[in-house]
Amino acid sequence: MSYEMIALLMFSSMMIMLLTGQRVYGAIGFVAAFAALMLWGDGGSEMAFTAAMKLMKWYPLLTLPLFIYMGYMLSESKIADDLYKMFHVWMGPLNGGLAIGTIGLMVVISAMNGLSVAGMAIGATIALPELLKRGYDKVMVTGVIQAGSSLGILVPPSVVLVLYGMIARQPVGQLWLAGVFPGLMMASLFVIYIVVRCKIQPHLGPALPKEERQVGWGEKFRLLRAGILPLAIFFSMTGLFLMGFTSLVESSAVGATAATVGALVKGRLNRHVIEETIRKTLAVSCMFMWIILAAMCFGAVFDGLGAVKAIEFFFVEKMGLGPWQILIMMQLSYLLMGMFLDDTAMLVIVAPLYVPLVGLLGFDLVWYGVLYTITCQIAYMTPPFGYNLFLMRAMAPPEVTLSDIYHSITPFVLVMIFGLILVMIFPDIALWLPHWHYGK
Amino acid sequence: MPKAIIQYVRYVDAVNRVVGRFAMYLVFAMIGVLLYSSIAKTFFLPPLWTFEMAQFLMAAYYILGGGYSMQLDAHVRMDLLYSRWSPQRMAFVDTLTSVALITYLVLLLYGSVSSTEYALKYGETSYSSWSPYMAPIKLIMTFGIVLMLLQAIAFFFKDLATARGRTIDGRLLADVEQAGGSSS
Repeated sequence: MSYEMIALLMFSSMMIMLLTGQRVYGAIGFVAAFAALMLWGDGGSEMAFTAAMKLMKWYPLLTLPLFIYMGYMLSESKIADDLYKMFHVWMGPLNGGLAIGTIGLMVVISAMNGLSVAGMAIGATIALPELLKRGYDKVMVTGVIQAGSSLGILVPPSVVLVLYGMIARQPVGQLWLAGVFPGLMMASLFVIYIVVRCKIQPHLGPALPKEERQVGWGEKFRLLRAGILPLAIFFSMTGLFLMGFTSLVESSAVGATAATVGALVKGRLNRHVIEETIRKTLAVSCMFMWIILAAMCFGAVFDGLGAVKAIEFFFVEKMGLGPWQILIMMQLSYLLMGMFLDDTAMLVIVAPLYVPLVGLLGFDLVWYGVLYTITCQIAYMTPPFGYNLFLMRAMAPPEVTLSDIYHSITPFVLVMIFGLILVMIFPDIALWLPHWHYGK
Repeated sequence: MPKAIIQYVRYVDAVNRVVGRFAMYLVFAMIGVLLYSSIAKTFFLPPLWTFEMAQFLMAAYYILGGGYSMQLDAHVRMDLLYSRWSPQRMAFVDTLTSVALITYLVLLLYGSVSSTEYALKYGETSYSSWSPYMAPIKLIMTFGIVLMLLQAIAFFFKDLATARGRTIDGRLLADVEQAGGSSS
């Protein structure tokens, strides 16, 4: 059997194993370890564990549990409540203003942690009930929270960009900076969409009634203080890292400490919060780590087969495609796979295949990291397998049905695809800031 | 289910819970080590050992926590088809595919045992200026993988019972649900 055939066989048997609904790490790990054993006999029998040693030496991976810890600390201790109140009071008088405020809230939360789960939890438990009470359309509101929370992986700090940086061997600092403007642009696009939509259909997002708007200016400015804490957390983590005081991994520990101290100062650090935070951190970290462990073994076997070269040969020689055509096809296949494959699995399996190819085609890998992250964001949200969809179903109040959730994302996915195309056509949106900061 | 199996499942669940809840607190150790490293680096000399110590802690964290995370049902599945099945059918398919999961864990264990043997026999140390012995962390990892394997087998028995419409200690699932759904 040729190596291409073996690679294809491995890929398809993995897809079948995944379809059976066995835990993702088990499905991937089995196909990888078993294939290694069959291909290389005794020499391949230790590949599963070799991956564990390689994973241990992947130093930036330490940021993963720490960022997850930080995200849960922020959402479990509810230190973001005041932040929501600030946006509520300041943005409320506008049509659709609370929805816009929610996007603002999500941007701030994204700047404090590297995953979308914290934004999701805060949005679904704090913002969503408030917005529904104020007569906002539930479909739109659900979409706002999902789209907004997905910014968590684009705005620095970002776990997805850390993982991408490891796979693509690109400096994380540059990647993080490259995410800043696309993230803000995406948030602005969401806001524009909300404003336009609420102009046409004001009943979707009514302005706050008069009596609720009667908040004195003193109170209004007092609420602005809620912004100090996020700023402090952002500075202690991303700031210190970009200024070169702490390494990437150290900065994640500083950030985790800052979030804990923030909760302590606000008087929200109790036994229950700590228990919930560390238990969920363990659960989610283990989920990620075991998948990465299995996927690294899979990747090693694929590497051994020379699968990347085979894919390049297939696209460039056999199909006769130009670089841009291949890039667009890769993004499309990503979106398609994102519908069926868990995004973590996608990140660790498909990225190692695509990223070297993108490099070979002569594209900037920092820029591609941003494209890649936006695609991940979209994949997070597209049914039937979107991580955010399930989180939303688990956290939202019962009147929000699964079909509401499915309907809510359509306009936002279109907006995100538009944003993706903008970054593709104008790479400077992503690249200007890192080039300016690192003075290339 | 035979009595021995019921006992086995109970013990494995209990041990993994204790070990996993211990591992849970290692996140504070990781934060502590890295925080110390950044403080020491800024004000004194950069310590040699923090870098690798944090890596060892991370490996211990997710491997020792593995069994408990399975109990918490933290591991995602692709539920395109899975979510549409009845609990009994899910359990039935799981018993079949558990064979794959167990095979993977056995291969993982095989690799870890031979790697640990090597580390013990030759006193393997890491290539770094701190140069710690590798055997302790490898022993911890092997121990964690054994626990994960035992937990996967325990789940196999639980799924087998569910697939036959019973709980692990032999009561009918339908009865348990009527009684208010408190299963063991």
